[in-house]
Parts: sequence; structure tokens; C-alpha cells
Amino acid sequence: MTDATSAFTKERAAVIADATVTGRALCQSLTAATDAWLSVQLDAARSGTGCERLALVAVGGYGRRELCPGSDLDVVLLHDGKLTESVARAAEQVWYPVWDLGLKLGHALRTVKTSLALAGTDLQTATGLLSARHIAGDEDLTTELRDGAARQWTGRAARWLGALERSVEARQAVAGDVSFLLEPNLKEGHGGLRDVQALSWADAARPILTQLDQGGLDGAYEALLAARVELHRSSGRAGDVLLLQEQDAVARALGDVDADALMARIARAGRTISWSSDEVWRRVRASMHGGRGRRDRVLNERIVVLDGEIQVRPGAIDSSAPGLALEAAVAAATLETSINQQSLHRLAAAATQVEEPWAGSVRQLFADLLLAGRPAIPVIEALDQHGVWEHYLPEWPAVRCKPQRNAYHRFTVDRHLVEAAVGAAALAGSVDRPDLLVVGALLHDIGKGFPGDHTEVGCDLVRTMAVRMGFVDGDVDDLVAMVEHHLLLPDAASRRDLADPATITAVAHAVGTTRRLHLLAALTEADSLATGPAAWSPWKANLVGLLVGKVGWVLAGATVGEVVQPDPPPVFDLTGAPEERIEVSEHEVTVVCLDHPGTFSRVAGVLALHGLDVRVAQAWSDGGVGASRFQIDAGPRTLDAERVADDIRLALHGRLALEARVAERAVEQSSRRRRFPVGVAPCASITIDNEASQTATVIDVHAPDAIAMLYRLTRALADFDLDLRTALVQTLGPAIADAFYVTDRAGAKILDPIHQAEIEKALLFACTSRADEQPRSK
Amino acid sequence: MKLITAIIKPFKADDVKVALKGAGVRGITVTEVQGFGRQAGHTEVYRGAEYTVDYVPKVRLEILADDGEVETIITTITDAAQTGKIGDGKIWVTAVESVVRIRTGEVGADAI
Repeated sequence: MTDATSAFTKERAAVIADATVTGRALCQSLTAATDAWLSVQLDAARSGTGCERLALVAVGGYGRRELCPGSDLDVVLLHDGKLTESVARAAEQVWYPVWDLGLKLGHALRTVKTSLALAGTDLQTATGLLSARHIAGDEDLTTELRDGAARQWTGRAARWLGALERSVEARQAVAGDVSFLLEPNLKEGHGGLRDVQALSWADAARPILTQLDQGGLDGAYEALLAARVELHRSSGRAGDVLLLQEQDAVARALGDVDADALMARIARAGRTISWSSDEVWRRVRASMHGGRGRRDRVLNERIVVLDGEIQVRPGAIDSSAPGLALEAAVAAATLETSINQQSLHRLAAAATQVEEPWAGSVRQLFADLLLAGRPAIPVIEALDQHGVWEHYLPEWPAVRCKPQRNAYHRFTVDRHLVEAAVGAAALAGSVDRPDLLVVGALLHDIGKGFPGDHTEVGCDLVRTMAVRMGFVDGDVDDLVAMVEHHLLLPDAASRRDLADPATITAVAHAVGTTRRLHLLAALTEADSLATGPAAWSPWKANLVGLLVGKVGWVLAGATVGEVVQPDPPPVFDLTGAPEERIEVSEHEVTVVCLDHPGTFSRVAGVLALHGLDVRVAQAWSDGGVGASRFQIDAGPRTLDAERVADDIRLALHGRLALEARVAERAVEQSSRRRRFPVGVAPCASITIDNEASQTATVIDVHAPDAIAMLYRLTRALADFDLDLRTALVQTLGPAIADAFYVTDRAGAKILDPIHQAEIEKALLFACTSRADEQPRSK
Repeated sequence: MKLITAIIKPFKADDVKVALKGAGVRGITVTEVQGFGRQAGHTEVYRGAEYTVDYVPKVRLEILADDGEVETIITTITDAAQTGKIGDGKIWVTAVESVVRIRTGEVGADAI
């Protein structure tokens, strides 16, 4: 190692180790040390090979004197003619020491002519040469290159601007936002260092930057550059993404109180840059494409489309209608364009707190803006950047650019809320009140801006906010419920047993109404998608969907017993039991036998005879074999399983006077206990539904409970030769709510209205006439 | 050495994790999976609608264990994951030829 090289190594290490030097100062020290060392290398190479006409030129970030500890050294070695062996040897003498030190080198050996030719076709080379800087050697060559590159750049301004615009858009799309990502890309992100560089390149092609654009840009650039320097320093390597694990060290090095303070500064810098960058590129596009081909037009007396942008007429602003900014925003989002910058300034100057409670029209515009979906995002950002948004939501500054430290989240709180709201807009079709959905989504995490549990704080805040927005009481309650329960569905779906009736009951109880269930279901999906890639997956969607389905049916009036996962059908196997298989246990009776109408009702009759209450019953049939399963409750009695099985066998073979015995027992029972006073009994109702099931007619029976009700209802169905597919039986206090899935003998639904009317008549008779009266009525 | 793979109900994942930790298991790989066994491909009938559940969400656990630990681990998982209802899942054990801890290069039982 030469003296110069070891001196450079020491100096470089000292600069990087000196914690008192940060940001641009460090970059400049590194650049100066590197320049000095490379100059020595080049001079030695020139004298050693006799090649005098050589120049070493720094390009890119090194050209701008912005070397960070992990940056590549991007250099071009210029020569003046043929690539002789001695020129090649001179180049090696410059490159090898750099490689030997383990520094990353972006190198090229070219003439001015070939450099310019390459820069004529390649955007990256062209922009790299715009920051070309002489390091050592023949300065005339460097000057020739710099002048040529600048001439070429302005000479083909229109072409380069178009290419640059496309590359800016592509880069931003990949890297995401500096302000809103919890792990921002300081260089490539939207609002990152590269955006400022691109603006200066664009301005070099065609002067486009105004005083207004440049306000704050320098400060923002320095803030990001300083963070990048410390990121390289603390991680010990190159990299542009400010990872969570590095944020504490970077914050300490830059004197921030904590990582949150650092990230808030970074977010502000990113916002300043992205705002200027977007504004300038929009103007460039407008000048290149003539407003993207849109024609100027008047939308109404307040708002016009001019050069493809939304402009608010100055006269309209004077009257400062409270919804004017929203009206302009809705127009911009709907047309997927932006609000003109001057209009924004005027709106900001005229903005005042919206009168409380909001007028219905203001509330509608607010919802419409969110319902416009993704195009609303840049518009809302523009309103917020100009301080207009907080006139509608005074609580917003508390969440603005607020970082959240956990592995799931990808965005700052404010952007997460906006993402959730526009994501929810895409699900508006699944709810009956899209306005509540998007407003609830926008506010669901607003509590994160304040101390305390974010859900509890959020509920109080949203109640105040919703009242201020002029929502009626019921809507306010729905919005508060959305905040309160925004984690209920994902938590219950993944952590509770969906086959347990208690889970379904608890969720149904918490949610309360079908409207809220659908609002919460849509919010869950939008919230998860806005959180990050790990928070939503087909797996999670499937689980949440199962829960929502079950809770939905319960809220619509079904019983919990119906919706928890039904047990699988018994095995239809009669091998070794040619006639039937009867199993009776303490809680369950299963009967498998040759299938014919009436089997189910006969078993139900025997169970009634033995005083056994049926909780849930199901019937299946397959290939001429039928199976029924009854979940039973014997109450305080001891179950004589053998006698029950014997009686079932007798009944199935038609050897039991079932009807008479049931009536007898009913008389006996009714004299001893009346389940409810006469007159309080609910009315019976029968509903026949052919839409509910794809394969069967569903008959819903709501009636007062009575002895042997299941026996009488199913016997009535058997009289019609109906095939009973499933019977879902539930007793709710003094009433029953049964659902029978039936088909005719051919397996078809019961579609004939006369047939339906007869069935209804028979069932109504069966459930209103009392069993103990039947013998006398005959 | 053996690889123990268990498919369990999602809501049981935490219980099983705690139980396995208590039983001295040092590492578990957890994956969210979907599939069907005897439980699914079925049509659930609710009042008002039928719909087909194509795949049922489950959680897959993978645990590397020394031969002597296998029985305990299986019992631990079974006890913690059992609800007695259909869909409780399965456990299977496969032989493992070798295991290497990447950080240290340790091989075999030391790497578990």
C-alpha cells in the first residue's frame, strides 16, 4: 500500500468515526479526501505511462460532492483518442487501488465523444454527466465533456423531459412514499433525494422551477441526506431504506429526542419534496401534452376545468361556501386530476372552521370524496398540505405523519386512515350505507393521535366528530361502533372457535345489527389491506368470511344452533343390520334405516313419548337409506336407552299406537304443567321459501311450543310424501323456531302455489291444535 | 431425529405454542394453510343460504425433535389442540436425515 493510500484509508476512517461531523459536512470531507487520493493515483499513472491527455471526472453523487460512507465512487476516465495499451495500463493503475480497498467503483474509460454518444441515448448516463466534476488531469477534456453534455441535454429537452418524467413515475411507484412508509426509501422514494435531483435536471433542460416550488426544498434535501449518511454509518453498509432497526441509532446521531421525532422530520421533508415534485411534473406534463388532451370546461358557476386541472373561480371563494374545497376535491378526484395550485392557495387563505353541525350537502361531499377511491389520495394530501383538510377534521394534525412501531404496519397513521377509507370505497357495494363505511374507515384509528388506548379514545373522539359532521343519532352510534369493534372480527375469526355457539353469540351480541356487521366486515378488509401485506391473505379472508356468514344468519333471525358447523352425517352403512341401526346415548339418538316418508316423525314421536326434548335434529338420505340424528335433553330423568331403542324399533315397524300414546301423554303432561299461560302464547306462522336453498324448499315454522311438536309437524310433512332433508329445531323459551328442508319424492322443490298452500294449512293445523285435543276432535 | 408436523385449528395455535414451550420445545415453524380433510368440501346449510366451503383455514406447525422427545410432543399437541369436534386436525412424524444450524454449523441433535 502506498503512503498516499494508507493516508487516505486513515483519513476516511477518521471522518466516518467522527460523530460530530454529520450530513453534508461529512459528505464534503469524504469527497475532498477521495479527490486528493485519486489525484495522486492519476498523476502517478500519467507519469508512469506517459499518457498526458487523461482526465478523471466524478459523476453522479460523487460529482455533486455527496459521498456517503457507503456510496459507490462513480468516475469516468477520459482519454483523447485511441485506446492504446498504455491508456489501458494507466486506467488499471487508477482502478486497482480502489478495488483493493474494497470500495465500490462505477468506472468507465472513454473519450469525450463516446461519452457524449452514450449520453445521447441513455437517460442515466445523460443525467450522471450533468453533475460531472473535474478531479484531476487534463482539465480541458473535462470542460469539453461538461459543456457538451449540457448542450446535448438542453438541445433535446422535450425528449429528455418525457423520459425523465416516466422514470420518475416508475421509480416512485416501486419505492413508495417517504412521508407515509414506516421504512422509507430516502433516495428513491416519492419525496426522496432523487426527486430533488430530477427537478434540477428538468430545470436544466427547460427552466421550470419557480420561487414557490423551491421553498423549503434545500432544507428538506439536507435532512434526508443527513439521515442517509447516518444510516450508512450505523448499518456499516450502503442502503437507502431507513429500516426500523436503524432508526434509533440514526435519531441519536442526529440529536433527535427519539426515533419518532426523527421520522416525523423525515416525513415533513418527504412531504415538502413530493409536493414540489408533483406540482412541477404536473406542469411539465401539461406543457408537453396540452393538459393531457382534456378540454377546458365549466362544471358549475364555482368550478371549472382549465388545462386539465380543477380551478375554483375567484368569485366563488369570496363567498367561502363551507363545502367549496370539498366540491373542488370531489371534482378533482372524479376526473383523476388535481386542484390548481393557485386555487389551493386561495382556498387555504379563505378557509375557516366549518359551521357545526355540517350541512347535509357538506357531509355528502365529504363522503363522495372518499368514495371516489384511490384518485382521492393525492387530492386529500393536497388539501392537507395547504392546511384545508384540518378545517374539516381539527383532530387530523394529531395523526399527521405519525409513525407506528410494529411489524405489521407499513404506513404512518394518517396515510393508513386515508388508505383504509379509499380501500373501503371499493367495498361500498357490500353495505347499505357507503357514507358511514368510508367515514368510519377514515376515523377508525384517529385515537392513535392521542394518549390512552386508541380504541377507547377513538370512540369518544368519533362521537364528537360525528355529531359535528351532522350525522343523526343512529348514524353516530354506528360510527362509534365501527371504531369500538374495528378489531373484533379479525380477532374473533382467528382466535376463537367458530364451531362454538358461544363465539357466534358473543360476536352477534357485540355487533348488534346486520348493517353494522357488514360495515365491520368491509372495514376489516380495508383496514387490513391498508395495514400491510401480512395483515390480509386468502387465509384470513376465509376465516373472517366464515365468521361473518354465521353471525349474519344469526342477526337475520336464525338460531345459533343452526349456524355452528353441523356434524357430518352418520355413515349410511346397514351392513350386518339388514333392517335398521339404532343408537341411543345420553345426548344423541341416531337412526339409520331404509328411507321412507314418516321415519323421522315416528322417531320424533317416540322421543316425545319418553319425555325427551329435541334440541337439534338433522335428517339425511342417500341411495334409499335414510338417517336421522336427534340431539336430546332428558332433563332430570334417567334415560332408559334400551327402552327408547325398543320403542323406536316398534314404531318403525308400525307396531306402536304412536298417535294415541302421544295424545295420552300430552293430556297427562298438560294437567301437570303448563309451559306458559294461555293467551301469552305467540302466534304460529309458516313461511315457505324457495330462494334460501339451491336444492330444497325451506319451510320455516314459528309457533308456541307444545308436547310432541316435532312429531306432529314432521308427520304432517310425511302426509304429503315430502322428503325431509334437514330439520333444524330450536326451542326459544315458550316458542319453537324450526326450519325444514324438504323436496318432493322426485327430489324437486315445491313450486306449485296450491301445493304450498295445502302444506301451510296442514302445518298450521298441526302446530295450533293441541295434542291433547286431537283424539276428541276426531 | 424426527420432523413433527401438525395441522390444527387456528384458534388453538396459541394454546399449543404455550403448551409446547412448557414442554421444553425450543423452536416451532408456523404457517397459515388451507385445505380439507374429512371436514370439508362440504356444504354448510344455514337458514336462508347454502354455501360451499372449499378449503378450511388451518395452522401448520413444524417441530424438529430428537427421537426421545417425539411422544411427549405429540401428547402435548393433542392435549392442547383437542376440541373433540370434527376438524381438530392431524399430526404426523417423518424421519429427518440431518439438521444443520446455519449460524454455528452445528450438526445433528445439537442443531435442534
